[in-house]
Amino acid sequence: MEILNGFLEAIKGLYESSGILTLTWQNYVMIAISCFLLYLAIKKQYEPLLLLPIAFGMLLVNLYPAIMAPPHISLVEIPNASDPAAAGHVVQEIGGKVYYENPQYGGLLYYLYQGVKLGIYPPLIFLGIGCMTDFGPLIANPKSLILGAAAQIGIFVTFTGAIFLGFTEAEAGAIGIIGGADGPTAIYVTTKLAPHLLGSIAIAAYSYMALVPIIQPPIMKLLTTKKERSVVMEQLRPVSRLEKIMFPIIVVIVIAILLPDAAPLVGMLMLGNLFKESGVVERIAKAAQNELMNIITIFLGTTVGATASGTNFLKLDTLKIILLGLIAFCMGTAFGVLFGKIMYKLTGGKINPLIGSAGVSAVPMAARVAQKVGQQENPANFLLMHAMGPNVAGVIGSAVAAGVLINVVG
Amino acid sequence: MFMNGTIPWQPVIAELSLAEKGTSSAKVILTGFLVVFAVLFLLIGIIKLYSYAIGKAQQSADNRKRRKIEVVDVPKQPSAPAPRIFAPPEDEDEEVPEEIVAVIAAAVATMYGSPGKARIKSIKKAGGRSAWANAGVLDNTRPF
Repeated sequence: MEILNGFLEAIKGLYESSGILTLTWQNYVMIAISCFLLYLAIKKQYEPLLLLPIAFGMLLVNLYPAIMAPPHISLVEIPNASDPAAAGHVVQEIGGKVYYENPQYGGLLYYLYQGVKLGIYPPLIFLGIGCMTDFGPLIANPKSLILGAAAQIGIFVTFTGAIFLGFTEAEAGAIGIIGGADGPTAIYVTTKLAPHLLGSIAIAAYSYMALVPIIQPPIMKLLTTKKERSVVMEQLRPVSRLEKIMFPIIVVIVIAILLPDAAPLVGMLMLGNLFKESGVVERIAKAAQNELMNIITIFLGTTVGATASGTNFLKLDTLKIILLGLIAFCMGTAFGVLFGKIMYKLTGGKINPLIGSAGVSAVPMAARVAQKVGQQENPANFLLMHAMGPNVAGVIGSAVAAGVLINVVG
Repeated sequence: MFMNGTIPWQPVIAELSLAEKGTSSAKVILTGFLVVFAVLFLLIGIIKLYSYAIGKAQQSADNRKRRKIEVVDVPKQPSAPAPRIFAPPEDEDEEVPEEIVAVIAAAVATMYGSPGKARIKSIKKAGGRSAWANAGVLDNTRPF
């Protein structure tokens, strides 16, 4: 009989602690959303390297919210202070009852999330990106930086939209940065300015980056003429190794002195690039762009997804953020193309305005889109390397814009 | 703060008035626009400057090398009317196989239409990363 009672008690305890009783309807909605995102990542292959861990993190936290719980202290009642159970614990008396403090560890993802919260993962991702980026097209044609800057205007215009939709200055800054189309930068700025919006901003940013081939072409075609889209650009000059080695050193000196808030992102990007271009630390460069970057991507994706718990995510504000993010993205593309048109006029038709759209970062997808739209007009036109200039300039531009936002509204 | 489960970073800011919202937006747009452009324009100037300086330095180094070769070559071939002043890089000595020349010629003809429009003057091995390696790098950077 005692065994049967013990068994029933155990089953009752398991039932009471199971998700059937503890989960809310919001959790179930989020479980459905995460399954849909998993479908998009696996079946449609929309940014699977990030969408898959993000969606699974979202799934985990809504099935088992304690996986993101911070460490805390629970109070356990004891008959008196000399009770052996309290040995080694702090004892306190509340309302005539005696308790001992029982420290509880946080959930697994809570600890992994500290790398996001403390702003460690995004710069490390930038280190890997730096190792994989060739700034040659940008050095060969430095005017590309103008297009990289123009595409950041969307960030600041969206800031205004967010302010008028009722967000605080810091929140509006974090929402605007979605227009930079740079995942690590968006996460970095959000952790500094509005960490409570991290889930929705990260998901909006990565969703729009995955949708670059769908969002950008209509805007590019709307703002350019057939003649402008058909421009064949002159071949870029070869860039010497010395120029490539000096580039990361000079950029980091200039940006870190002028805008220290952008130094962690730009510094790591340029360190990675120097690993690559110097040619003397091949082992480190390989580790940074492969093992380290992959590990950080797992931690970053999963924990960012885990911030989207039902109660946090299912709000009107999330819808506003998704809408504002789309506006930011479209504006960034439009301003990039418009400045491309200005450069087309000023250079007497030597610049194809389509490459301006690549200024929104989203490396190298946005450059590929410029190439694809250009080839629709002229199949023999190869804009890819020309578009890579504004594309990598956009990464620097977004990091500078991030520094400005953190400094002005942080 | 963490112990009781509250979020320590949640901002507690009073709702801004319409005028304050306008002022804040104007401030951010103006600062952002000017600073981003100023920093990137500065970078353009610096890149141009150092590219020019490096180009000049390399040109003068090449000139010095040329003069040195001339000095060495002249006594050996006093009767030669035009001494060879360029020392070709080692790579250029390698002969390009005929099959490769045919493939490149075919690709050029496909791109430029009729054979009269383009003429191949020389074929040299390019240094650095190949186009396929570049495509591989692009593929790897895709999610970011």
